[in-house]
Amino acid sequence: MKKNKKLMTLLVVILIVTAMAVISYQIRAKTGFESKPISEEIAPQLIFMIGPIEVTSTVINTWVMIGVLGFASYWIGRSFKVRPGMVQNAIEWLIEAIEGIISKNIGKDNVPSFLPLVAGLAIFIGVANLLGLFPGLRSPTPDINTPLAMALIVFISVPYFGIKSKGFWRYIKHYFEPIFLMLPIEITSEFAHTLSLSFRLFGNIMGEEIIIAILFMIAPFIVPVPMMLFSIFTGVLQAYIFTLLACVYIGGAVKAHQS
Amino acid sequence: MDWSTLPWDKIFVIVTVLVAGPGIIAGIAVPAIGQAIVAFSGLRAISRQPEAGDKINSIVLLSLAMLESLAIYVLAVILILIFANPMRTFIMGN
Repeated sequence: MKKNKKLMTLLVVILIVTAMAVISYQIRAKTGFESKPISEEIAPQLIFMIGPIEVTSTVINTWVMIGVLGFASYWIGRSFKVRPGMVQNAIEWLIEAIEGIISKNIGKDNVPSFLPLVAGLAIFIGVANLLGLFPGLRSPTPDINTPLAMALIVFISVPYFGIKSKGFWRYIKHYFEPIFLMLPIEITSEFAHTLSLSFRLFGNIMGEEIIIAILFMIAPFIVPVPMMLFSIFTGVLQAYIFTLLACVYIGGAVKAHQS
Repeated sequence: MDWSTLPWDKIFVIVTVLVAGPGIIAGIAVPAIGQAIVAFSGLRAISRQPEAGDKINSIVLLSLAMLESLAIYVLAVILILIFANPMRTFIMGN
């Protein structure tokens, strides 16, 4: 019985992705396959400008995603019951998984104060990675600006929560901890964390998108479906890794040398 | 020999592609060996002490992500080389 259910779920996912691939095929067939070079397929397109600010397709897709996510959270959150239904079960499982990550890496007492930040990062990145599967939309994460903004949030929140939990001087002191010579290394590692966080997310999702775009060019009908299925796995895994690393960095600032 | 008559734009494209192929091979092979070592020792540690599996699991995932980022740096450099080379306008003149 249980095995049958798992198989059915897998089949439904495969069918949905196949339908999306077919719809993308129809959209691409209207515009022609050979018209654009591959770099234009990937790079964000300039839609219009407000003064000196360029509004690209990334911005529009991100705002569409934020609107849908906000509306969905409002609509689902209004109807929470004591006995959870299917959607509520899934959301409770997700939130409990994120709470598990926080309590393992930052500390059990800190779960309520860190849940909004970490869960926001996790849900935003997860949905943003999966957005590229929908026909006509493209995910915001292959644009370097989106992962960089996410990584900058982590970069700023590390000293913020460190100072908040340990006090200013004790936080500054941990840069000089074994000997004062460690200061440049510590500062460099802070910037390297930000760089590696943003580039890891960017490179992974960018690679996926390029492979799918190339497959759509050479064999457009059904061949990209396995790669699209694999990109679901990669997107969720990258969101998990980003969340885990953000928790590890914040946890290192909050609970370092408490013993 | 007159260097300025050589077709520098074609040479530039050829050199870029010739560098990109071996570069991505090296950049994937070396982190793959590192990831294999991490996964190998993680598996061995879990099979030796299964009750510590949760802790080992998260550490293994962390180090795999760290090693993955090295391969991703190579991918980013190769993508910049092929699609958005900043030297292209210098060589080709727009």
